[in-house]
Amino acid sequence: MTRKILIVEDDIATAGYLSKGLIEAGYATETARDGRDGLFLASEGIFDLVIADRMLPGLDGLTMINAIRAAGIRTPAIVLSALATVDDRVDGLKAGADDYLCKPFSFAELSARIEALLRREDRAASEKQQTRLNVGDLEIDLLARAVTRAGKAIPLGAREFNLLEYLARHAGQVVTRTMMLEKIWNYHFDPGSNVVDVHIGRLRRKLEEGFSGPILHTVRGAGYRLSPEA
Amino acid sequence: MIRLSVTARIALLSIALALVTNAALVLFVRQQLHRNAIAALRRDATEQADTLVAVYRSGGLYAVRQAITDAESPPDPTLVLAVLDASGHNLIGDAPADVSPQPQTEIVFHIGRIGKRGRWAQVETGYTLRPIGRDWLLAGRMLADWEAEQQGIERALLLALALSLALGIVAGLVVTRYVVGRLDRLADTIAGVAEGDLSRRAPDTAGGDAFDRLARQLNAMLDKLERLMAELRIVTDSLAHDLRSPLARLRTRTENALLLPESEQRDAALSGLLAETDIIMRMLSMLIEISRSEAVSRERFTEVDPAALIEEIGELYEPVAEDAGVHLSVAIEGEPRPLALHRELMTQALTNLIDNALRHAAAGREILLRLVQERGALVFQVEDRGPGIAEADREQALRRFGRLDSARTTPGAGLGLSLIQAVAQLHGGSFELDDNAPGLIARIRVPA
Repeated sequence: MTRKILIVEDDIATAGYLSKGLIEAGYATETARDGRDGLFLASEGIFDLVIADRMLPGLDGLTMINAIRAAGIRTPAIVLSALATVDDRVDGLKAGADDYLCKPFSFAELSARIEALLRREDRAASEKQQTRLNVGDLEIDLLARAVTRAGKAIPLGAREFNLLEYLARHAGQVVTRTMMLEKIWNYHFDPGSNVVDVHIGRLRRKLEEGFSGPILHTVRGAGYRLSPEA
Repeated sequence: MIRLSVTARIALLSIALALVTNAALVLFVRQQLHRNAIAALRRDATEQADTLVAVYRSGGLYAVRQAITDAESPPDPTLVLAVLDASGHNLIGDAPADVSPQPQTEIVFHIGRIGKRGRWAQVETGYTLRPIGRDWLLAGRMLADWEAEQQGIERALLLALALSLALGIVAGLVVTRYVVGRLDRLADTIAGVAEGDLSRRAPDTAGGDAFDRLARQLNAMLDKLERLMAELRIVTDSLAHDLRSPLARLRTRTENALLLPESEQRDAALSGLLAETDIIMRMLSMLIEISRSEAVSRERFTEVDPAALIEEIGELYEPVAEDAGVHLSVAIEGEPRPLALHRELMTQALTNLIDNALRHAAAGREILLRLVQERGALVFQVEDRGPGIAEADREQALRRFGRLDSARTTPGAGLGLSLIQAVAQLHGGSFELDDNAPGLIARIRVPA
């Protein structure tokens, strides 16, 4: 089933760029030019996701999302904004957005976050509390916080375990560096050096050295993906 | 309502004040003089009556007549001395035939018209009436002279009032000229600044009066404004300048990428372009973060355990340092209590410091992240064993976009340290660089 995404963006170029990219990625899109139209369309409840610019004519993005929530519609929402400081991001998330992305962003970043949100919704809808995650021959016991691959135990530090758990919950999807910084370390700024890459590198060595094939893949220009297939 | 100019209002006010105070004074003087004059008149009349009563006692009516005649020569038209019988008829001296106070009751002193006709009815008389034998003695003085005298005084007082009005106008104009003159000088300064000459300053600030204080405050404000403008200009200049080089690199690489024949090579070149773009983006967002952090409200602060914060950062960077061949360790001295911090900005400041240490002091092979509880302050410090920064260069290193010549060859915007400084100031603390002999100590001190 094709997922439907509502884009609420007053800048025609950006809206076109988003729409084109999302259609190429296999989504169906609809575009609203201002907050009022966006609210009207979103109230139908037929969308799987809303992407809203923060600064919109009429009704700003955050207010619009609040209004959608007030109408009882739980559609996940990503806010796009040129307001890029740490405080702006934290405010955006507090105000009811499920995710917050600063302009300019890479399309890979947006698409990774869209997938993560859609996946989260699916999980919330279908699955019960999980105690075990499997990715190929990798097995993660969430209760014992133990990891084995092909039956062999892999000792991990607490942070490494959290990182792996996050990757495994999004197995098969691209997870970006900023997503990991936000979710694992709760940092809403970019620390500049390749800290995430270094941590992933360590985790990868532990997961792959002495085992049959690669499982933690680098996706150029985007991030990382945990998957048994290349 | 017509709004008068400030000048006119100040002048009018000072004139009105002069007028009111002078009028009050004049009124008071007039009243006082009047009362004194009446008291003198009363004393005179009483004394004269006393004397005549004494004369009557020793010599009878005859002696009184003699005394009155003596008193009237030379003739004094204002003097009233007479003896009346019980029905008011004139026995001795000059008195109106129809004397109005009927001599039945003794009158100590009274001012009024004693007759209904002639001069008696025109001018008031101050008189006393007392018994003398079976008859009555009328003694007093007509007020013609006295009134003239009073009128003279009143005229003089009125003249004084008019004079004071004139003086008030002059004084008002002088005061107004002075006040407006001084205000004008301040206004001229401000107008000059508004027109763009930021070096203008208000003159005469040595004194201690309110205008001097105002001028000093204005000058202090202008100093700060000028400094900020200069800083802004430097920032804008350096920003434009520093953005040129990554943009130039970006352009060159784009051109090269366009020329690449193989699509795979082109892809690789394009992702290089993305990395270059990210550097520029980072520079801009850090700049925004700095200028924002200079005005962040305390509501953003949360209760943070500083030891946990430091350990978290240590854990985040330990592998990064190891990859660079540096040993990163964490030292926590004492038992620092949780305190209100802007967690993200403080973390960002500290990671910037570690980044700097890794970039410039990796050769020292050692970075120490230290938390020190001092009296009344908590110190976050990052120590390295690299080349350090000479004392003379430290100020330059702290300036926004300030990059030491030795650092020009490595990529970076020169914004890191000024962000840290801004974060330290946001927390009411300070940021300083120190010698680690050898190496550098970067210290963020926060009041706790």
